[in-house]
Amino acid sequence: MKVARVFVANRGEIALRIIGACRDLGIETIVAVSAADRESKPAKAAGRAVCIGPPQAIHSYLKVQTIIAAALGSGADAIHPGYGFLAERPDLAEACEENGLIFIGPTADNIRKMGDKLLAREMSRKLGIPIIPGSEMVATSDEAQKAATKLGFPVLIKAAAGGGGKGIKTVNAPEKIKEVFEEASGEALAAFGDGRLFIERYIPDARHIEVQIIGDRQGHIIHLFERDCSLQRRYQKMLEEAPSPVMTAELRERICDAAVRIAAHIGYENAGTIEFVFDQDQKRFYFLEMNTRIQVEHPITEMVTGVDLVKEQINVAAGNPLSISQADVKVSGHSIECRINAESPDRNFHPSPGRIDAWDPPEGEGIRIDSHCYAGCVVPPYYDSLLAKLVTWGTDRFDAVKKMQYALDHFTISGVDTTVPFHQHILKNKDYLEGRINTRWIEDTVLGEYGK
Amino acid sequence: MEPITQEDVFLILKLIEESKYDEMHLEIGDLKIDLKKQGNRASVADSKCVSEKTAKPVVPVPPPEKMKKDKRALDTADALTDESGLIPIKASLLGTFYRAPKPGAPAFVEAGQNIAADDTVCIIEVMKLFNTVKAGVSGRIAKICAKDGEMVEFQQTLFLVQEAGDLDEGMRKSA
Repeated sequence: MKVARVFVANRGEIALRIIGACRDLGIETIVAVSAADRESKPAKAAGRAVCIGPPQAIHSYLKVQTIIAAALGSGADAIHPGYGFLAERPDLAEACEENGLIFIGPTADNIRKMGDKLLAREMSRKLGIPIIPGSEMVATSDEAQKAATKLGFPVLIKAAAGGGGKGIKTVNAPEKIKEVFEEASGEALAAFGDGRLFIERYIPDARHIEVQIIGDRQGHIIHLFERDCSLQRRYQKMLEEAPSPVMTAELRERICDAAVRIAAHIGYENAGTIEFVFDQDQKRFYFLEMNTRIQVEHPITEMVTGVDLVKEQINVAAGNPLSISQADVKVSGHSIECRINAESPDRNFHPSPGRIDAWDPPEGEGIRIDSHCYAGCVVPPYYDSLLAKLVTWGTDRFDAVKKMQYALDHFTISGVDTTVPFHQHILKNKDYLEGRINTRWIEDTVLGEYGK
Repeated sequence: MEPITQEDVFLILKLIEESKYDEMHLEIGDLKIDLKKQGNRASVADSKCVSEKTAKPVVPVPPPEKMKKDKRALDTADALTDESGLIPIKASLLGTFYRAPKPGAPAFVEAGQNIAADDTVCIIEVMKLFNTVKAGVSGRIAKICAKDGEMVEFQQTLFLVQEAGDLDEGMRKSA
């Protein structure tokens, strides 16, 4: 199989990132645009932009049949879904296969197996990889009550069809479980069309550690070490770094090995990420879930390993073996990513769409910016608020931090509110600099002191 | 009150043109129109339109001379160098454009054909789902802008139509 023309079924910075990778590989690109994105940077950077529908994603970027028709109609031989939108929809992967298109991502079967969080937990358990103590599916609030009492409060109620931080609720006390259970069940049904829930023990002092893997059709699977994505607000990542400051060589080897075993077990193809919860008290990690797509924070892995993950995705999707072996993958230095969103940190991170009047990003050695924004561009209200991924690379963590402090101080954006000041605050915080943080740290500590 | 249409404007124009009066003053609700004949012709462009509340001009219409020219141009091969004034029928979704209900069948519409607003003008197919497209406007097909069997994008212009109002006026003028 040869990939000569890629249809990019996404928008924003990731569309631009994919178009750039294709350009380097001598591959033509066509990008899908909604009516709101006709003038976007990806629309101009691609060989052709095809308008697939009105601004609302549900009528454009989320329409499988329209994406397939547009790809076929423009003579593409492959579809790259990016992240979000249709990236983890097995029906898109299947529709590609039925129409003779290459899906640049895992197989539909891979996506299905990992999309059901209960099945994924069971599989991990069978492989001898620890999972967070928890229940099977709980069908009623009584069952939930029993399971929670056995585990000990607080507990998390999670949707089997959830993932990516969606469909999670914390229950602090037994008398609350009935109410939260009913609420979670209804929400899961509405959001995922699947109301199944399960219960997990809450780990208070946890870090979020994830391992990047990539596999080819020949059955080779390699890992590209870990990322630490512990800085989150409402289960949404804000700042990530690689490598994790808390991994020892022994832990790193075990967690990466676990990730490869999970991926190998289901014959995983293409890029994916296995997420773990790391209990800092017990120094133990637990399998959390697998994301079957390229992730937002993939650049920090690229910065420390030198591997271009998007190019490698295209390479293996074309049926070629991985261009690198496990022995080739070495970590060098340290990388940090700050997600610059159009949100107002002063107003509870309320979205701040609008026209960007001034856009002057920082420049310098070790600074990478993945962004589709420019002075005069409009941030539409229909999509997620990511404006830019500000990434730095340094010889060590201290160096990467210094570069990030400089980069944030020299990033001029006006017209919309952004998360730049919030990141500046974090990058000066002693707890962050000395690594005394966990997944609750932003909500428990930073939000209270920020702005005071 | 129904908003005033292009057709209404032509009727009003016709009224004053065929009358022996040089001036006309018309009030419909908040809309006030003053029309004055200059020489032999009347035109909306020369008239004073005042809408007290909306302050919006009535549908802009080219003076009759120019419309006659447009009508003539339609009959010639190098028609439509100026496509302004024609109404586009746009694709409501992305898909494959088909001019006929099935291969080999006659096309729904041909250039020059008169159409009514609820006439089917083409089909847009998305993965074996066939969506019929209605004209949405009555008049004459001035130009077919998309190729049979090719992909059309969302909001792409499929046909250009000379609207019925324009057509009647044009025909009346040339008659």
